[in-house]
Amino acid sequence: MGILKLFGLGFQTVNKRIKIAVYLWAVNLLFSLVVIAPLYFLLQSEFSRSLLENQMAKGNDLLIWMGDFIFKIKDFFPALWGWILVPLLLYLFFNIFLSGGVIGRIASSHEKISLVNFFSDCGKYFFRFFRVFLIFLVGFVIFFGVVYRLISAVLELWTKNASTEWPLIIVSNLKFLIALLLFSIVRMFFDYVKIRLVIEDSKKAIRSTLLNFRFLGKQFFKAWILYLLVGLVAFIFFVLYLLVHRIFPHDDIFFILFFLWQQFYIFSRMWTKMLFFSTEYHFASLNPSR
Amino acid sequence: MNFNKGLQIFFSGFLLLALAVPTAIALQDKSRRMEYEIWVELDGQNKMLIGRENIIWVNQTQDAIQDMWFHLYYNAFKNEKSTMLQESKEESFGPLGLTVEDGDWGWIDVVSIKLADGRNLKSTMEFMRQDEPIHPGDQTVMRVIFPEPIMPGEDVHLQIEFQSKIPRGLQRTGYYKDSYFIAQWFPKPGVYEEGKGWNCHEYHLSSEFYADFADFTVHITVPENFVVGASGQQIRATANVPEKTVTYTFSQARIHDFAWAADPNFLKIERDFVADKEVTTEEYEDVSRRLWIPVESVKLNDVKMILLIRKEHKRQINRHFQALKAAIKYYGLWYGPYPYETVTMVDPPFRTGSGGMEYPTLFTAGTSILRSKDVHSPESVIIHEFGHGYWYGLCANNEFEEAWLDEGINTYSTGEVLAKAYGSGAFSASFNRIPLNWFFEMPKYYDFELDRAGGIHTVELDPITTYSWKFYNRASYGLNVYFRASTCLNTLERLVGPDTMIKILRAFQMRFRFKHPHTQDFIDVVNDVSGRDLTWFFEELFFSTLNFDYGISFLDSREKEKYIRGIFDKNGEKEELTRKKVESLRKKAEESSEQKTYITDVVARRFGEARLGGDATLKLKIVFEDGDEEIRLWRGRERWKRFRFERTSKASYAQIDPENIWLIDSNIANNSLKREPSRSGIWKVTSHFFFLVQNFLQLVSGLS
Repeated sequence: MGILKLFGLGFQTVNKRIKIAVYLWAVNLLFSLVVIAPLYFLLQSEFSRSLLENQMAKGNDLLIWMGDFIFKIKDFFPALWGWILVPLLLYLFFNIFLSGGVIGRIASSHEKISLVNFFSDCGKYFFRFFRVFLIFLVGFVIFFGVVYRLISAVLELWTKNASTEWPLIIVSNLKFLIALLLFSIVRMFFDYVKIRLVIEDSKKAIRSTLLNFRFLGKQFFKAWILYLLVGLVAFIFFVLYLLVHRIFPHDDIFFILFFLWQQFYIFSRMWTKMLFFSTEYHFASLNPSR
Repeated sequence: MNFNKGLQIFFSGFLLLALAVPTAIALQDKSRRMEYEIWVELDGQNKMLIGRENIIWVNQTQDAIQDMWFHLYYNAFKNEKSTMLQESKEESFGPLGLTVEDGDWGWIDVVSIKLADGRNLKSTMEFMRQDEPIHPGDQTVMRVIFPEPIMPGEDVHLQIEFQSKIPRGLQRTGYYKDSYFIAQWFPKPGVYEEGKGWNCHEYHLSSEFYADFADFTVHITVPENFVVGASGQQIRATANVPEKTVTYTFSQARIHDFAWAADPNFLKIERDFVADKEVTTEEYEDVSRRLWIPVESVKLNDVKMILLIRKEHKRQINRHFQALKAAIKYYGLWYGPYPYETVTMVDPPFRTGSGGMEYPTLFTAGTSILRSKDVHSPESVIIHEFGHGYWYGLCANNEFEEAWLDEGINTYSTGEVLAKAYGSGAFSASFNRIPLNWFFEMPKYYDFELDRAGGIHTVELDPITTYSWKFYNRASYGLNVYFRASTCLNTLERLVGPDTMIKILRAFQMRFRFKHPHTQDFIDVVNDVSGRDLTWFFEELFFSTLNFDYGISFLDSREKEKYIRGIFDKNGEKEELTRKKVESLRKKAEESSEQKTYITDVVARRFGEARLGGDATLKLKIVFEDGDEEIRLWRGRERWKRFRFERTSKASYAQIDPENIWLIDSNIANNSLKREPSRSGIWKVTSHFFFLVQNFLQLVSGLS
């Protein structure tokens, strides 16, 4: 089946299971609220009765109130790391948990999505996916600690002897692009491992990982182009967000509308995340590894 | 404002006198001063400078002087025992330390040092270390002893031969490939201070320089394909055909340092600042009115502007010249005409670590290939470094001991010029050297806001007037002498008024041109010009580590009780107003819709240790719900003060320092207190961060 057809199939599957994107968005919203709540209360205690609050509303005096705020909280900076890091790790692990629900429901022949069947899939696949995550970390370290470093070292030979800033600009952006492409390969590889565990209802993460080499070895470029095509969708959403951000009036009246636009963008990210899984699912289903 | 008219008249007379001396005459002033003639050849193969210099030094003091101290600053790069590299190791603010890689070292050797009669002083040469803490291996200061003392009014002629290995670009000077920026490169005498001896500090990590005014003639020999720029005016270029080199001769009177740059890849462009084209009659008249001096006295000189720019920055040539023109114009109009005939602006050679640095009549700017138009860069660095020509170049303070006099005043005046010429600028952000400003609209700010945001954080670490190398760390040095000092000067401007502030800076500039002023000189000028004794201002904010924070801690409005319980004398008898009676009277009053009176209590507090002094007062403004306002004054010496208001309306908010004069206040948020809280701004700000957090979390989830 052609890449565009697979893409279309994935697109249809996601739209029939759009509820899952809502769950993912809600989880993101809740975690973000936990992270942001202390900031809100701090700002409230410092500024709610100050005239600077009126300036904040108008978008004025940014450096004045920020200067004040940083002066107030500077002694708590070390604690801020903990405040950010703990929810971050929890969110990471929770997403491993949620991936089970997402792929499980995409793979299910029943299109009806409920919280019960979604979370039961989350629970069912969590430990398998957690093992995949641990293997992923190894893959991540190999790719970024070895492959990326080697490529960087070669590129930096050019910058080391540069006579102008141009090589630095080109190399730093080239490195970024290479990092993105490498990351997409690693991500894609382990997405297929997870999908295979679901399709085969297997608990053997290492075996699935090894089999996946054979599977992707045969049709790597097709799989990767499909993956990059979905990545392009994510990029289009990002550009769209930026365009609207630039033209959107930022005054009070439009504040709520703009917030809703931001949430729509976050939702689009969840939707795209599902699109990755669903296109990969269809690709894997139509191209069994054995 | 309590402004003394008599002093105003006195001051305008003083300024008239000061400005009656045209700048050209000031440069041609033939009073005896030091002279340098230096011959230097660049050995590009070995990265060496081979030089000799003739120095005529005049004893202008009443002391008999037995020795002479010299800066040998290239030895800062000689080994890890140098004070600079030791301090770099000791630096607690990690990212600001320096490391010299193998093979990148630099040094200077004095081959010989002779008197005019041929007597060699080399045997008396010794390295001096007097800055605490002592770094015994430092070789950046040397002294020689004369066979007989130099008596008052006598001069001494010295002939010095030296060789220097140029360090790889690291800190202000050095080379990268065929590009050179050469500064602090020749043996340079310290400053002899009468009764105190030589002021000759080592090369420190956190400090700039101090030297005496002199007349320089420098002959620079470089390979013929090099483009050269240097302090002063180029008076000739002689080709040395067999050697395939060219000797450039530069000359300049009354400067205290000499730097040069050489690079085959430079484009050299010259343009003229023509005063009559750049400044309108109205602008001259406006400045003359503000300064109370005749229009003739504010007229500017024409200046030759020379730009050495790297080819890859060719598209920014106009940006460089526009910024330099703005700087020559406004520094000139406000603080006094630029006295030299040339200014050379150097786009720092790649990887020479020499960007954003000032030398007399020459400075380095700094830019990148990709620049956004709404960011004031390279404009701000050009205006700033040119401005140093005034506050370090002309009012040549000791930057080791009182760096703020240059950096602080110049940061303040950069902000003024930038705001006048360009308005507010956008925050600069980039990703992989690509400006994000191309894609996102960044918030805009004025320099004074940025200075304050940085400057309030270091108050408890060091006084602004700390010796440069004795600050807690480099961050404290930078934030104090640049940002905090600038914020204090912005506060001073708001306190005395913008016109008086310009008069202060112009008077300081003109009074101390070609001299070495101290902090006390600046304070004296402030007091003279403002007609107020503002010594306390400097004691609280410059010489101490006291946090300035006034605010409102309490605001409440309540209905005034007309009927109160108790025993009252009425017509010679005792009458008791019982609870019941009071309640019925209140009810009646409410029914008759009688005008209510409210008592509003406000407590103003001094949260910080710094106190107002002299004739200064803080304004307290109360705004009531009916729109009325009331202003009270508070001298602010005590820790707190309660103010009571009786009005027919409740208070809406109270605000101390409503005109925001005290920009140095570390908590402007508590300067106002609303009776009812509001949250729309907080929601807005939180929502921005909320969206960032959502995206960040999602990014991290990509690992799952």
